Amino acid sequence: MRRELGMFFALVLMCAGLWSSNHDFLNQSNIMNSTRQIAMLGIYAVGVGFVIITGGIDLSIGSVIGLTGVLIAKISSHAVGCMGYSIWIGIGVAMGVAMLIGLAQGLLITRLKLQPFIVTLGGMLLIRGISQTVVEGGTLSIGGIPFAKLADSGLLEWRGDPLLPYPVLIFLVVIILATYVLHFTVFGRYVYAIGGSRDAADYSGINVKRIEATTYVISAGLGGIAGICYASYTGQMSQQVGIGFELPAIAAVVLGGCSLRGGEGTVLGIVIGSAMMKVIDNGIIMFQLKVGSRTLRLDTNWTFIIIGAVILIAVVLDQVVHIVQGKRRTRRAGEVVAARQRGFEITPT
Amino acid sequence: MRDIVKRFPGVVALGGVSLHLNRGEVLALMGENGAGKSTLMKVLGGAYLPDDGQIFVDGNPVALNSIKDAKRLGIALIHQELMLAPNLSIAGNIFLGNEKFCWGPLKKLDRGAMNNIARKLLARVGLNLSPSTSVSTLTAGQMQMVEIAKALSASARIIIMDEPTSSLTAGESRQLFQIIRQLKTEGIGIIYISHRMEEVLDLADRITVLRDGKYVGDIEAAGATHDRIVSMMVGREFTHRFPEKSPTPSTEEVLIVRDLLVPGSPFGVSFSARRGEVLGFAGLVGAGRTELMQVIFGVTPALGGSMSLLSQPFVARHTRDAIRRGVYLAPEDRKRHGLVLPMTVAQNTSLPDVSHYASGGRLDRKREDYIAEQQVIRLRIKTPGIHQKVVNLSGGNQQKVVLGKWLAMQPKILILDEPTRGIDVGAKAEIYRQVAELAATGITILMVSSDMEEIIGMSDRVVVMHERAIKGVLLRNELSQERIASLMTGRKIA
Repeated sequence: MRRELGMFFALVLMCAGLWSSNHDFLNQSNIMNSTRQIAMLGIYAVGVGFVIITGGIDLSIGSVIGLTGVLIAKISSHAVGCMGYSIWIGIGVAMGVAMLIGLAQGLLITRLKLQPFIVTLGGMLLIRGISQTVVEGGTLSIGGIPFAKLADSGLLEWRGDPLLPYPVLIFLVVIILATYVLHFTVFGRYVYAIGGSRDAADYSGINVKRIEATTYVISAGLGGIAGICYASYTGQMSQQVGIGFELPAIAAVVLGGCSLRGGEGTVLGIVIGSAMMKVIDNGIIMFQLKVGSRTLRLDTNWTFIIIGAVILIAVVLDQVVHIVQGKRRTRRAGEVVAARQRGFEITPT
Repeated sequence: MRDIVKRFPGVVALGGVSLHLNRGEVLALMGENGAGKSTLMKVLGGAYLPDDGQIFVDGNPVALNSIKDAKRLGIALIHQELMLAPNLSIAGNIFLGNEKFCWGPLKKLDRGAMNNIARKLLARVGLNLSPSTSVSTLTAGQMQMVEIAKALSASARIIIMDEPTSSLTAGESRQLFQIIRQLKTEGIGIIYISHRMEEVLDLADRITVLRDGKYVGDIEAAGATHDRIVSMMVGREFTHRFPEKSPTPSTEEVLIVRDLLVPGSPFGVSFSARRGEVLGFAGLVGAGRTELMQVIFGVTPALGGSMSLLSQPFVARHTRDAIRRGVYLAPEDRKRHGLVLPMTVAQNTSLPDVSHYASGGRLDRKREDYIAEQQVIRLRIKTPGIHQKVVNLSGGNQQKVVLGKWLAMQPKILILDEPTRGIDVGAKAEIYRQVAELAATGITILMVSSDMEEIIGMSDRVVVMHERAIKGVLLRNELSQERIASLMTGRKIA
């Protein structure tokens, strides 16, 4: 929990700094927009978190998000070239396909002992290609169906904006469910045990393959839900939606305290990590410094430099703490051995 | 080598060992597991720095600070697990780290020159293969020859071979012996480590015996017999006190193993274990004891044969099949297989059973904590609390956590693979006491151990294995170090 607390303070500090530089950071529309962005990232980052905690990786998630939106547009939109079925059929088919993709990848990884990196890299490209084929290289509009308003509408209308947009509501449900599953169920315990030591989990009679494969289904499933949100948010689907989405999710998961070695991390950490990623994004636009009559702003070309630097600083700090703790542990173990050896010399055997 | 001392944290591996080797001589180095043979050879090969003692080559004192130093002096160490890069060619391996290259800033590899020299070396070791053959396509015997060729390429005068025949066929071994004899005539001295008594008696000019990191003595091969060597290898004094064991009254056979075919072993093994019995498994490292236990526990499925547990057929394709039937394993490598190190004592204790006391998949933390507390008290696990991560515990306490997780699940058969390896004296005594108590309550215990003292002190019967076969089963009243050592070095029961 200490790491989550540290990240939380860093986040609060960042927000306070941004607010003091530009009071618009905390105005209603920016907050609404930011939380919606955080929610949409967070939904699938939690899914990726499940995979990462078992010691795997899911690179295909961005493509799953894209394909979900494309399928919904193709099946349910009334635009030219689309089928115009009910939105529920579109969502059902898209979610089913997403979860099947997760299952297929999970089975390839566990049954054929393939490396998660390469399987999901292949999946990423293959699924991207399917999306492109479905949209035939162009764009499909989702306009004209009530679904298009999902991302913008929500509960508790106030001053023309919902206080609780639907993506945020979905995110809250995902957080609660994921927290329950990961921290309070046997399944969650197994996820951590596999990440901590696959061999020991196997020697304890755990069905390692099934649990691992399930995490890929969870990841792809949450990717599908995120895909629904993004589809309604963008309003029109092309093969461009979802490209590169896996990386902010992995960054959020790692910032939130999960180790890519597996076995570590919490849902709360992933939520904080997702918030951090999007606040940095938003902060680069909002940040300003008033020097006399001039207002200095950050060049948006710096976005990637700043995000990259933040991630590197976070992992470096984390590793330094890790090394220091490890050294302390070895020293303590050494003292125990030394004490025992002294004991040997005193007691005659 | 004179008075070599090597200490490791917690143990003295070598306590003043001396050894000499003459030109053109085959010296066999013998001793039980942990006698210090490999450590001594690693000191000679430059892999370990001795804490004390001196090494002389050709009468001159030398300092072997690195493997490079040893190589320069013509000392080559051939490890038991061959150290070849399988993706490179034979010539590439022979010259690894010592490549010939063309003159120039890029140091282009001179494959032609290397292949030529390699071809000559291969002829010397009787290997009729092209130097460009990939090592991954060779047999174990051919790889051994490549290792010798590599040693020769560095103009070695002393070649150390650690268990060279352990993975060779009889034919390959004979070929190896021929090469060794030929090297001898070329004036190369050979130190030969082996557990196979016949080989040693056949090949060696002289035999040096080590025991518990100490030099015991030398025998000329001419006057050596199997029995004499064994009596020098054993003859250790017992330092542990073992708990009193009640003689097992039960003759009920709980586990019967028939012709069980362990992967990698040429034939099946059969034995049976009785209720409330401690059945010891003695043997040298590599005798196939761990592999047998892994098959019984379902880590690796058997290739044939059958088992029965309490008169019911017992098939373990996965570990969960064995666990469901009450057959548990405390593995040899407890840090890797026995525990999830970053998890807590409580979480490790509950791991195999946690799904059974969960309602609807929800963890019952109270019950988990309660069971962990019970095991901590019962096994006297020294930990600041049940929510301590096991990575922070000492080896003895980690082993107790492994035992605790199985004891919480009412074992029928408990397999202990090297239960006290790397554990201090106090924790050992407690584990012995626990094992004796468990056996008294009717639990059958299969105990693999390389610690002779422990095997004799704890077992009701001892199964002795040698080269993946059971060489004999000894009853408690016929247990002696000599008998066990004789069987585990491959001698048939007289």
